[in-house]
Amino acid sequence: MSVRAPRYSAWSLLRGRFSGPGFWRPLWSGRQLQKAYDVVVVGAGGHGLATAYHLARDHGVRRVAVLEKRLVGYGNVGRNTTIVRSNYLLPQNHYFYEDALRRWETLSRDLNYNVMYSPRGVLDLALSDGEMVSLARRGNAMRLAGIDAELMDRAGVMKFAKELVPAGTRRFDIVGGLLQQRGGTVRHDAVAWGYARAASALGVDIIEDCEVTGLVTTAGVATGVETSQGPVAAGQVVFAVAGHTGAIGTMLGVPLPVETHLLQAMVTEPIKPLINSVLIYVHPHGEVYILQSDRGGVVMGGFLDGFPSYTREGRWSRLEDVVQSAVALLPQIAGLRVLRHWAGTNDMTMDGSFIIDRIRYDNVFLNGGWCYGGFKSIPASGAACAQFVATGTAPDLIRAHTLSRFASGHLLDERGGGPFPVRL
Amino acid sequence: MMRLTCPFCGARELHEFQFHKTAPEPGANPFAAVYERVNRTDISQEYWQHLHGCRAWLYVSRNPSTGEVYQVHLLGTQS
Ligand SMILES: Cc1cc2nc3c(=O)[nH]c(=O)nc-3n(C[C@H](O)[C@H](O)[C@H](O)COP(=O)(O)OP(=O)(O)OC[C@H]3O[C@@H](n4cnc5c(N)ncnc54)[C@H](O)[C@@H]3O)c2cc1C
Ligand SMILES: [Zn+2]
Repeated sequence: MSVRAPRYSAWSLLRGRFSGPGFWRPLWSGRQLQKAYDVVVVGAGGHGLATAYHLARDHGVRRVAVLEKRLVGYGNVGRNTTIVRSNYLLPQNHYFYEDALRRWETLSRDLNYNVMYSPRGVLDLALSDGEMVSLARRGNAMRLAGIDAELMDRAGVMKFAKELVPAGTRRFDIVGGLLQQRGGTVRHDAVAWGYARAASALGVDIIEDCEVTGLVTTAGVATGVETSQGPVAAGQVVFAVAGHTGAIGTMLGVPLPVETHLLQAMVTEPIKPLINSVLIYVHPHGEVYILQSDRGGVVMGGFLDGFPSYTREGRWSRLEDVVQSAVALLPQIAGLRVLRHWAGTNDMTMDGSFIIDRIRYDNVFLNGGWCYGGFKSIPASGAACAQFVATGTAPDLIRAHTLSRFASGHLLDERGGGPFPVRL
Repeated sequence: MMRLTCPFCGARELHEFQFHKTAPEPGANPFAAVYERVNRTDISQEYWQHLHGCRAWLYVSRNPSTGEVYQVHLLGTQS
């Protein structure tokens, strides 16, 4: 049964302004958990919600539930630094992320919810000739695939990112950069809320405070899940639990090529517009990315904390490292105060690429291994995963992202780093 | 979790140490030992190195959900 949500428009905003209380409805309905579903999706992060939305919208699956241990948006979908881009090296990855980027461009209209896609440009910086060569290689691979990429020399970078002046204060000067202009940011909370609202309007049950604690099977087929609110029968089950992917593997008795690492981010007090794009610098000992939120805060993040953790408490030395790198690039921000910092649990795979595949049972699917880059992929992942579940066949875009690729040697090792998520 | 106690150097700041991987299950086949990880949320048994210290290889058991460190041994001497 679908609950009609009012369509948002300039007109509805105006009406809301002049209507009494009660005009604005909750974004998703608080429906009760049912005894049985066609598909149970575990985890109301971006991937779980998008998968449920596409199952209902594109494939007409009638009874879909998303079961969430905590709250919609509590996980990484509400903790990330909101950067979207498709500047990947490997074809199996860049075509997929490009599909996602195209979907971001129209998502606000599709969901009837403003997700604030801002194509402000993502600029990867090179501070040495060697880094420039590797950016050129990546940029060429993208252009061969028809994806926008612009290699810039020092003058080009300085013209595009004026905040990087004053030069001469840096120990290592900027050599050049690789710009993806269509990359940028998307408001992360809006993505969670927008998908939840749209899925709910299509009849999907979104059940919060409902932890999945086990899988029920009969004769080698999954028949449902055990939850903290009791058993639920399911025709098919999709696990989209991001940072808890490894734990789900343990629950299913399938050891996974996954390690859970914390990633931190922070935001400063708001300042006037300074940084117009997303600045990224990856160096041999870590990385830093910097952007300015619409509210004016400088958002910064860097590399993983470096060891398995579910605490969501970041490690101090990483915070220092990110701040030092950011200040080295933008000495002007040295005096700002950090308002908040936080961490999320990331499901790092042994080749750095994601997994969408069946796991152990024919009717159980894993959507995970998103590493630290799984926000930008949400729209493509939801569409592809839903198609896989509904039709039984993986679409071409995710055909290479199997679980068996690790054993067969068909790794998608974007970084060329070997079977370790962290090598510093 | 801010520090680890190296059996040789004592309690030292975390950034002196490098995590390597979780210890494979006994009898794990070579593929599992290289690519798969033991993902338990209550206890994690791991190989670390005191990289920026005495460089000893260590066997650490911790609770990855609370950050509590149970034991640190020289690798090979854990019970
Ligand atoms: C600090 C930080 C910065 C990041 N920056 C970026 C970025 O700029 N760009 C980018 O592309 N990516 C970024 N990422 C990565 C991105 O956020 C994640 O890869 C992505 O959000 C993960 O997918 P999700 O949204 O489905 O996960 P989540 O939102 O974590 O959803 C998983 C959900 O599953 C639930 N769950 C777990 N176990 C169970 C269970 N047993 N039963 C029921 N529910 C369960 C969890 O509570 C959670 O809500 C960043 C991550 C972090 C932490
Ligand atoms: Zn030592």
